[in-house]
Amino acid sequence: MMASPLKTAAAGARGACALGVHGLSVNFGGLQAVAGVGFEAAAGRITSVIGPNGAGKSTLFNLISGAIRPTGGRVTLDGADVTGYSPDRLLAAGLARSFQITNLFFELPVLENLRIAAQVLERPWHALRPVGHSRRALSKAEALLERFGLSAKAGELAGNLSHGEQRRLEIAVALAAEPRVLLLDEPTQGMSHGDTADTGALIRSLAGDLTVLLIEHDIGLVMSLSDHVVVMAQGRKIAEGPPAAVRADPAVQAAYFGHG
Amino acid sequence: MHEATTLRTLSDPGRAGPASRLSRLAPVHWLALAFLAVALGFAAVAWATGNGFYLRLATEALIFAGLAMSVDLLLGYTGLLSLGQALYFGLGAYVSALVLRDVSPSFWLAMGAALLSGVLAGLIGGVIANRVKGVYFALITFGLAQVAAKSVYNTHALGASDGLIGIPQIQVGFGPFSLDTADPLSFFLLVLALTVAAYAGLAYLMDAPFGRTLAAIRANERRVPFLGFNAWRYKLAVYVLAACVAALAGALYPMLRGFVSPELMFFETSGNAVITVIVGGVGTLVGPVVGSLLLTALRSVVGSWTEHHLIVVGVIFMLSVIFLRKGLVGALLARLSRRNGQGRSTP
Repeated sequence: MMASPLKTAAAGARGACALGVHGLSVNFGGLQAVAGVGFEAAAGRITSVIGPNGAGKSTLFNLISGAIRPTGGRVTLDGADVTGYSPDRLLAAGLARSFQITNLFFELPVLENLRIAAQVLERPWHALRPVGHSRRALSKAEALLERFGLSAKAGELAGNLSHGEQRRLEIAVALAAEPRVLLLDEPTQGMSHGDTADTGALIRSLAGDLTVLLIEHDIGLVMSLSDHVVVMAQGRKIAEGPPAAVRADPAVQAAYFGHG
Repeated sequence: MHEATTLRTLSDPGRAGPASRLSRLAPVHWLALAFLAVALGFAAVAWATGNGFYLRLATEALIFAGLAMSVDLLLGYTGLLSLGQALYFGLGAYVSALVLRDVSPSFWLAMGAALLSGVLAGLIGGVIANRVKGVYFALITFGLAQVAAKSVYNTHALGASDGLIGIPQIQVGFGPFSLDTADPLSFFLLVLALTVAAYAGLAYLMDAPFGRTLAAIRANERRVPFLGFNAWRYKLAVYVLAACVAALAGALYPMLRGFVSPELMFFETSGNAVITVIVGGVGTLVGPVVGSLLLTALRSVVGSWTEHHLIVVGVIFMLSVIFLRKGLVGALLARLSRRNGQGRSTP
């Protein structure tokens, strides 16, 4: 019925390749949306993917997270090939994601959103026992409420939260299954400056236990947060490296910063 | 203490005050208990006045309530509209009739065979129907039921358009006790007990993580796979469950009426079940039971004045869709929670 509980311990040593992307490609009716993109996300580090609109960042995330199937290339998790896995199998393998457009259960309470997301931590037969028996899922949901400052809103319907609160819940839901690799698709989208800074600090605190792959438009945030930056333009990777090196790269400046 | 707080917030976000600790039972279950009391009162009156006709009519209403509950599992809890649930109801009825007439007049054997047929047919139908979503799901369930109904209608061995007649009345044994399906009061009480058991079991399951995952599928199916659930398997599981509930309800029909006919599988039966759920209250499980009793009573009363009782049912359906969006039970629950000073609706 359900995926087996996830391993919580990080499988690889920090710095080893947690998520490998090798020559990943997809065609949409002749349009090469992502063309042969490859990079490695180091365990416990923050790797960011940046690029102008239409560069193929979100499509890349959809390929890695199993939302769409690649037409070429491979994805590995801790060295194991997970190319073409469905999203639920990928989650069981330790990869979770959040969405750019808030994608919650709006007609369910905040706590229930988190409880459902944490249910994979339980044994399969707990699905048929009263909710109170799923202690691990419940305590995980409570802990996330606290960590994301949503405790006062536990009983509120997710659809009634403010935009900033929904964005926080979106990240919390992705974390509930205790993944080893977390894909965050523009987590600060539409947030105020203060909330963006808070979210940045939160993402920083996640790394270490967790490998983070981040799409982010706020370049200041990307540069201050990332250990490694991958730059995409028109479906291709045009540069990668540490933030300072990428910022200085002439190709990046031409394709990206140059267009201010 | 901490866990108790969590549980209450999960099951009823609107009331977190200490007062609710006294009444752990959700309002919808109180409605179900009230309904049970009314049903037992009705049985006592009907027994005292020796009125078998109304007992049999009420028994029939409960049997069709089982079919309506199976529609509610799909529509109210998972967001899947089945326009062919009568397929499984009719299947259970035919299987039960054949077992009772040709194999053995055993209640438990008939119910067991109907359950097995529900599992098998539900698996086949579920795999086919769950290939598509939304309107197309509804159309496929409709098509499957039409194919099955026409096949039965044209099969001589199954009595074709006449159906199967001469189903014997039977003794239902429970260890040392037994009751006779020919006795209106006994059979009514048996069907009432089965309805209560079905309600309790399904309500439990829908509040367990399994049912709550179905609610997540209804709320936002696209997110569910990214939380580690295989939505297709959940939808197949609830489809098979609903098929079993419908088949078991159908299995009781020949015990009451002594015959089965292809009409049991026709669209009118499927459509009536959907109307029953919507009038009674979608996603409540009590609603389908209340709706079935109400519509059966209405059909009987209006049917004694005019043969055009379907017009009345149709008008009531439209009025309830327009004015009581959550059906009778939904409106009642909303009124109850408002009286308790809670503006929020319960999940």
